[in-house]
Amino acid sequence: MNSIISAHSASYKDRDGFVFKYQGEYYRCINAGYNDHYQCLVQGGLYNELIKKKWLVSHEEIADTAAFNLPGTKIILPQQISVITCPYEWSFAMWQDAALLTLNIAKAAIEKGMLLKDATPFNIQFLNGAPIFIDTLSFEKYTEEKPWVAYRQFCECFLAPLLLQQYCTVDGGKFFTIYPNGVPLNVLISILPKKAKWNLHNYLHIYLQAAIKDKKEKNNAANARVFSKQKMLLLLNGLTGYVSKLHIKKTKTTWDDYYSDTILSNAYLHEKTKLVKSFLSSVAYTSMIDLGANDGHFSLLFKNTQKQIIAVDGDANCINDLYIKIRSEKITNILPVFNTLQTPSPAIGWNNTERDSFNERIKGDVILALALVHHLAIANNVPFDFIAGWLASMGSYILIEFVPKTDEKVKLLLQNREDIFHDYTVENFELVFSKKFQVILKEKITGTERLLYLMKKL
Amino acid sequence: MKYYLLYLDPGSGSYLLQAIIAAVLGGLMFFKNFWISVKSFFIKQKPKNVLPEEESKNQESE
Repeated sequence: MNSIISAHSASYKDRDGFVFKYQGEYYRCINAGYNDHYQCLVQGGLYNELIKKKWLVSHEEIADTAAFNLPGTKIILPQQISVITCPYEWSFAMWQDAALLTLNIAKAAIEKGMLLKDATPFNIQFLNGAPIFIDTLSFEKYTEEKPWVAYRQFCECFLAPLLLQQYCTVDGGKFFTIYPNGVPLNVLISILPKKAKWNLHNYLHIYLQAAIKDKKEKNNAANARVFSKQKMLLLLNGLTGYVSKLHIKKTKTTWDDYYSDTILSNAYLHEKTKLVKSFLSSVAYTSMIDLGANDGHFSLLFKNTQKQIIAVDGDANCINDLYIKIRSEKITNILPVFNTLQTPSPAIGWNNTERDSFNERIKGDVILALALVHHLAIANNVPFDFIAGWLASMGSYILIEFVPKTDEKVKLLLQNREDIFHDYTVENFELVFSKKFQVILKEKITGTERLLYLMKKL
Repeated sequence: MKYYLLYLDPGSGSYLLQAIIAAVLGGLMFFKNFWISVKSFFIKQKPKNVLPEEESKNQESE
């Protein structure tokens, strides 16, 4: 490539084109070999249908491509997505919606004479409260005799994480961090409980497939068998019905009903809400990250405003409930992210650059760290200067709550362990944070010993 | 892990499976439709069992 342009580190597998960044925006280069398929997508009506349904990112074709110095190619500028999440940061309902979107797109493509050739969840992002497909080059002309080339990928990349969340653990999507190209079916089967086999769809798509995969086909006669559009639609509709009936494992997690069930009183929540609103009214910002968002109480204060809110929590049930709420109320500006803050998503893939780490991807103007510091400092032994440095790397302002040792919640954290946290004092907290931030506002939350600070990065 | 698997096209094997699944789902669909038609046959018969008084009421309400 004799050009100033270089492909994005996650865009190396596709021979039909690649994504690159140019002057702060992401473009997609389409190689000449893919042009027939691209024309079929655009002129055959599939593109318009997917755009109308908001299933695929829209794009504009760049007329003057001289600046890119990529002769013989077509350049498109897709709709930009400001926050990229990875599938292992989704909750069950997000996985399920992403899987259903993939199947719906595959069905729409078949009807327009095209085939969805890729079924990886990395091709899906969440925009305005709903999943959207981002890979414009995942379509090829459909010939009826061929089955779904992405079928196994769909099973390993979507069904496997969904089944792990249904049968094993609500945070089963995290398996995708170690198997980003799909959870191998033999690994999945070794984890699933035996009862999972007694479901016809589980048996067909997982167990039978694993059995066939383990046997080298003696002849390729089966491959040559003629498939048909009718069979393809039976397969896709069957998968759609199956996926929509899957459900998250019913488990009560630590942070379920935190605000409704715990000792935290309504008066405290009311006071804190008032303070948060008042503090934030003095700052100009467009994006906010709510760390330890729980059920999204504070994120939801800013719903359907111009602010882009990222609500992060390490509790899969909380994020799942928040996503369902966002979906049902059609809230467009809150993005729920499932991530454990003390062990955030790492950079993975080829050369550790294919997928960026959580810290590299998630940035905002204001960082909300409410009732969070004591969990990091006392429950996880994270020193104050680590927390201050981490928050400073994420945004310009922080709205942070300090919960002193005299508080019920901190007493609870220290109940069954030796208090080795002699430097966990408000004086030390302020001293350490003053090296990275300047305190703009500080106030005690009425009726508690808790302090709320608005700080600006130095 | 069986090493020869490394040399297999990731799509092979699933071709046969997809044919099997389509056949099974097609069969299920056939029986489902058959069952629906059986049920609808009996549901259609039901109005005949309605008592004459009720039938006249129904006609009035129409």
